[in-house]
Amino acid sequence: MKDAAYWIALSHLPRWGSQKINNLIIKFYHNSGISIEEFFNLPKGIWEKQYELEAKDVKDLVNAKLEVPNYAFLAESLISQGFEMIPITSKVYSQTLKNNLKTSFAPPLLYIKGNTKLLHENSVAIVGSRDASEIALKFADVIAKKSTESYKVIVSGFAKGVDRQALDSAIKYKGQSIIVLPQGIQTFTSGYKEYYRQIVNGDVLVLSTFFPKSPWKTALAMARNPIIYGLANDIYVAESSEKGGTWEGVHDGLKKGRKIFVRMPQPGEKNANKLLIASGAIPIDDVGNVIYVAPKSVSGSSKITVVNEPSDTFDETIRNLVRSKPMTASEILEKLKLDYSVRKLSTQLKKMDFLETKKIKNKIHYKVKINSSVQPTLF
Amino acid sequence: MNRQQAEAKLQALFKLDKFYDEQWDTIDRMFKGERVLLIERTGFGKSLCYQFPATQFSGITVIFSPLIALMRDQVSKLNALGIKARCINSEQTPEENSAIIKDATQNLIKILYIAPERQENEEWITATQKMKLSMVVIDEAHCISVWGHDFRPAFRRIVNLVNLLPKDMPILATTATATKKVEDDISTQIHGSLNVIRGNLLRENLQLFVLNVQSEDEKLVWLGQNLLNVSGSGLIYTGTKANTKIYSQWLEFLKIPSTWYNADLDADSRIEIEEGLKKNKWKCVVSTNALGMGIDKSDIRFIIHTQVPQSPIHYYQEIGRAGRDGKPALIILFYNEDDKALPEAFIDGGRPPVSMYEKVINVIKQELVGEQELMKKANMKQTQVRVIKADLIDQGIIREVLFGGRKKYEYIVNAPSLNTKAFEELRAWKKTDLDNMLQYVHTTKSRMNFLCEYLGDVEKGSYNNCDNSGLEKLVVKLDSEWKERLQRFREEYFPELEVESKYSNLVNGVAASYYGVSNVGRAIHRSKYEAGGDFPDFLIKLTLQAIRKTFGSQKFDLILFMPPTKSGDLVKNFATKISGILKIPISNSLVKVKTTQEQKVFENNLLKEENVKDAFTFKGTETIAGQTILLIDDVFDSGKSIREVGKLLTKMGAAKIVPVVIAKTVGGDL
Repeated sequence: MKDAAYWIALSHLPRWGSQKINNLIIKFYHNSGISIEEFFNLPKGIWEKQYELEAKDVKDLVNAKLEVPNYAFLAESLISQGFEMIPITSKVYSQTLKNNLKTSFAPPLLYIKGNTKLLHENSVAIVGSRDASEIALKFADVIAKKSTESYKVIVSGFAKGVDRQALDSAIKYKGQSIIVLPQGIQTFTSGYKEYYRQIVNGDVLVLSTFFPKSPWKTALAMARNPIIYGLANDIYVAESSEKGGTWEGVHDGLKKGRKIFVRMPQPGEKNANKLLIASGAIPIDDVGNVIYVAPKSVSGSSKITVVNEPSDTFDETIRNLVRSKPMTASEILEKLKLDYSVRKLSTQLKKMDFLETKKIKNKIHYKVKINSSVQPTLF
Repeated sequence: MNRQQAEAKLQALFKLDKFYDEQWDTIDRMFKGERVLLIERTGFGKSLCYQFPATQFSGITVIFSPLIALMRDQVSKLNALGIKARCINSEQTPEENSAIIKDATQNLIKILYIAPERQENEEWITATQKMKLSMVVIDEAHCISVWGHDFRPAFRRIVNLVNLLPKDMPILATTATATKKVEDDISTQIHGSLNVIRGNLLRENLQLFVLNVQSEDEKLVWLGQNLLNVSGSGLIYTGTKANTKIYSQWLEFLKIPSTWYNADLDADSRIEIEEGLKKNKWKCVVSTNALGMGIDKSDIRFIIHTQVPQSPIHYYQEIGRAGRDGKPALIILFYNEDDKALPEAFIDGGRPPVSMYEKVINVIKQELVGEQELMKKANMKQTQVRVIKADLIDQGIIREVLFGGRKKYEYIVNAPSLNTKAFEELRAWKKTDLDNMLQYVHTTKSRMNFLCEYLGDVEKGSYNNCDNSGLEKLVVKLDSEWKERLQRFREEYFPELEVESKYSNLVNGVAASYYGVSNVGRAIHRSKYEAGGDFPDFLIKLTLQAIRKTFGSQKFDLILFMPPTKSGDLVKNFATKISGILKIPISNSLVKVKTTQEQKVFENNLLKEENVKDAFTFKGTETIAGQTILLIDDVFDSGKSIREVGKLLTKMGAAKIVPVVIAKTVGGDL
């Protein structure tokens, strides 16, 4: 952990985002084979030439380097309080998280407290609304029990409702849990007290990706959801309304091609579970068994759509389609026979980080970015 | 910057002409962003090695120092030179500290002294995020190592911090006392290449003597006979806090100006004594080793130890405070064959049994506890809990964490199991070191050469500055005149019972004697535990002397006595006799309302306090309101029962409560 101060400096570079940071890490750590400290001590000229960093980026890095002594104090304080910092280059870093979020979204640095072995276990996320119904809570309990019995770690977000139910059930059934915080790791004092015994026994791991002192914020809670999904092999949704964290989170997950199980609501339930299923989530019953749904009954259309497949191949389909020649959104729509509006597809395409746009005859065409065709080897 | 340029600046800033070679070597390395361990004797000028570069850097230099007195001295010296220096410490108000921290974040301070414990402070850590740090200094760097004479756990965090700092940040660790073993340990702990600069630690101006005595009395008498003939002022180091008072009182009895100093004093009193010492206000200050480290007084003319230290390194560190001006200083060690029992007990008893460690681990596994909760849950003395805690932290089994500003102890996930071998190793090492100290006592060769070799000095000289080599041996003659003086002293000197607080109208009382001193303890034990009948009359006589000496002019309205835990009238009969002689009415009405256990069953004050809480009541008809009460007991240990009765009587309106006991125990908890 001797590089901790450098990792803090790099991971919280303002307005860089995970992808840009991860790409840089791949360059110096994997390609050049040097440590983060060595990278920071390189002359600016090398940053510019060898690492192809723009003037603004170099300035950001220079500022970050000036902060390293200050972050040393912070890192020392964190370590002495029993927190660990796990950079993406570490063997302790969750492989599941890397596999799911890839360079684009995998956080470069994890702050944790607890048993890091839990990061390498088979895991399920159990999520849902803060004001979930009794049925949803019961469902969370059943899934937690089943998962615990098969030695899976339960990942949840410590929100009221489903998240807390999942955590408490995991503890009740003597299972193991990862709590993904919507705040900095240092601001969870009451939680450490409440789950002290589970943490020191190695049954609970607390994890955050934010700056250690950040207080709870809605924006952080939203940003935290992809981490929950990313840490899990399977995702179970107990209940979602038509907006909010769960809703956004599931859509984000589907967009990334994750397999997401959503509880099929009983008649008369007021929630958006069915809409999620319509968007491509897999329906399951109250005890977690997959319900087979004919594509027609969900989409209401005779066209077979990609979205109601449990598709982690959608991105690949698009990638293959536009690899040979750039295409407009409507061309793609036509080719894939999707029942999407052009606008909806465009929105999705723009979010795909491996694509770039190019104007040909005044029309926006999508093409595969150079260099993004290969998944970086760090992952 | 080359040396010439630096020395020009040195003249302008510090009014000094030039650096010694070793100073410049160190400073040059600081400018190059290196890490250096500088081992030089006291008075060498180690502080200039960081103060000068600090004035040349654009940001702030932070100096971690365990010595508040040294911080104060250095800061005022630097300020007098017009250099912006400050210190943050627990003796300043939080407001003062906050203002300094704020200045530090705005780069308004060049040199900042702080205690290593400050790393635990939230405000400080937050402020460090905004500081422009240029250099880090670890003063008294031997505190990093358990193989040194003054290991301090708070330094562990400083080592961790240094290891997290960029490798090109200049780091200077300084010490005046490091054996090769300590030096190697520091080098291992501080990662990266640590350059070691070691000078000669020995000083020819120290005149080393050992006075072999047969008893504690002979030590007192030697001081009485000789102290006034020694020139200048100096320090007497005792082994225990109680002895600082006894020796100081003895000197006072002989009209030799002195005062006592130990960790029990509040900050104001400590500062006052440190200042007084510098101004030679007394012939000597009698102190535990709490005094002297880092005090900037160059003309301490003598240092006398009444108790043999644990090791030559402890001894060297303490005598190193004398004669920094290079003029002769007298260094005397009193040694009685029985004296080694104290350091031996410290080494043997310092380590609680393994079962206690396991008890502590089990408590900490179950819940997050602080020190006091831990003491209660494990029923252990504070000292035991502290030793165990420190070891468990050292072995990575528990860690100290802060919860809402309070220290708690947390079990570490996947912690290793307890390694008792490490304790045995350290204990064996300490035993060897004590043997080394005893060799110093018994050696017939040059004492300075002995220390020289022990410390691993590079140059070996031949020194003739001790009672084995060139100087005459000291002797003591215990004649009848001095025996009589001692007797008179003992009849006049009575230990104080410190029980005053804002919670009651109790005043500090008096004991006729210490429990362990002379024959008092034995007499009490015989009556209490060997069915020896009433307390003998000589105890009554001594107690009356104590009352007359301390409270001679006080008028008492009523005598009360502490009801016993078990049945028995020992204290009642004793108090009744006092009542008869002093002609003060006595009441039997102070009684117990709940069954308590004997206080000595409990290993710490927290449990003792709980044991006697609400245990007493007064069921008589005598007037208490507005009265001055003499409260009598046999033995005073923690004072918890007396405090509890004090609260009860205060509630009933007593104007003043004066506790008097036959004997006070030495030591005790907390």
